[in-house]
Amino acid sequence: MTLARQQAAFMAQVLDEEAALPPGWDARRAAGMAVYRNNYRTALVEAMRATYERTARWVGEAAFARAAAHHLILLPPASWTLDVVGRGFSYTLAELFARDPEVPELAALEWAMHCAFTAADAVPLDGAGLAAATAAFSDEDWGAMQVALVPGTVLVPARHNLAALWQALGEDAFAAPDYALAAPTDWLVWREGLNPVFRQTDAAEALALAAVLRGANFGDMCAELVARFGEAVGVARAGALLGQWIGDGLVAAVSR
Amino acid sequence: MAHDPMAHDIPPFSGFGLGLRREHYPDFLSGEAAVDFVEVISENFMVDGGRPLAVLEQVRAHYPVILHGVSLSVGSAHGVDTDYLARLRTLADRIEPLWVSDHLCWTRTSAHNSHDLLPLPYTREALDVVCDNIGRAQDALGRTILLENPSSYLTFPEDEMAEWEFIAAMAQRTGCALLLDVNNVHVSSRNHGFDADAYIAALPHDRVRQVHLAGHTPGEIVIDTHDRAVCDDVWALYQRTMRLLGPVATMIERDDAIPPLAELLVELDQARALDEGARVREAA
Repeated sequence: MTLARQQAAFMAQVLDEEAALPPGWDARRAAGMAVYRNNYRTALVEAMRATYERTARWVGEAAFARAAAHHLILLPPASWTLDVVGRGFSYTLAELFARDPEVPELAALEWAMHCAFTAADAVPLDGAGLAAATAAFSDEDWGAMQVALVPGTVLVPARHNLAALWQALGEDAFAAPDYALAAPTDWLVWREGLNPVFRQTDAAEALALAAVLRGANFGDMCAELVARFGEAVGVARAGALLGQWIGDGLVAAVSR
Repeated sequence: MAHDPMAHDIPPFSGFGLGLRREHYPDFLSGEAAVDFVEVISENFMVDGGRPLAVLEQVRAHYPVILHGVSLSVGSAHGVDTDYLARLRTLADRIEPLWVSDHLCWTRTSAHNSHDLLPLPYTREALDVVCDNIGRAQDALGRTILLENPSSYLTFPEDEMAEWEFIAAMAQRTGCALLLDVNNVHVSSRNHGFDADAYIAALPHDRVRQVHLAGHTPGEIVIDTHDRAVCDDVWALYQRTMRLLGPVATMIERDDAIPPLAELLVELDQARALDEGARVREAA
């Protein structure tokens, strides 16, 4: 057997505890394989627990360990970095906790915060920087302006008050009231200096951020706001939002 | 141009260090921890940005740093991951470490990554694979690397040579340097029934640049857990080993049940004393 085939078989045996061992392996080798199988599962579940600390606390350690093990069977790791082992876990949780929709929402928020933690560094543009960058802008330039948000910025849609849930889970003892919101919302995640942060958005800001995040220019973003909220509100919100994002340290650069 | 490890040997560095663990960040960030170097897990810092890199750069301002990886996978039949190597090179260029090290093992196939240090059969085919992969890694990194002897929990019926013979041949063919994990030798000697001293005696001592010490969990199969103090048997093996080696960097690994830094510094003092004792006795 070539080394490649031997390694493929060994990996299959590590990933699947039910997989048959090579013919002729004695009890000693089987016991050794049990160590590798245990190391694999323990290390990966632990890595996921580190990423999804609050989700684990919310569902309980035993339920979390079962869900993480299930996720690892569905999506065995392929990358060299443990950082991505938990990718897609919120989708797994959405199936496993179909009656508890706050669980995948909380996990999606933790994943976004985890990604923002090691996103590329950027120096946010301040008011003076924006003024300098746009000093020579014509009206057409403003319309064509591309707004680059700091790396790691994403929106997390949810139907629950994730801020209240997040805060509660950071305390020694937490209450479990109904965190459901009256209407769905989007939570904005970004990194402020070295710290990932998040806050709630309203419908107009979520619409505008979604446009910018998919690469729409400022003019197209304004057009979407006008189409949804009318000329006066749409135009006013577009300008106000840009100012708010500058104040939040969300804008890495603007360009024509 | 291919990296020539013979022409770019790693200068020996003599000292005593610890791994950088989150629990001890304040001591290392202030530069107040009494160590000669700090070792970090490379992959934890092969990120785009954020706090990990900011912390490492600040620590690097106070201490020499060793980049110790767990995902190079020099034993993979499918070769080394070029994207991984490019990221590691970026980190090494940024941090300017004492050296870059990883393990004699494999972690992945073309489809999956175990994130564990899996054992190799010690065959001529595996030796060819390992030597090719080390050569590619050294070329991509532009530097000679250190490879660490693994702890293992099974051996293969296909083995054609002993682990120490495999390592000696690997070092001779690739020019790589060695990271001798004394605890791993002890763990594997218990698991596979070989003589730990004979293993260490058979290595090319002039290639060893670093020594690892750690604790393990005893049992029917001894497990390399890094979650407790170094045991007496490993200390004794360390002292006998230091009589054979030239100047090396000695490091104590603790990855779980991490105690206060002061406790690890006491262990490090014990390593210093044993090393000094070994060298005095050798000189006499």
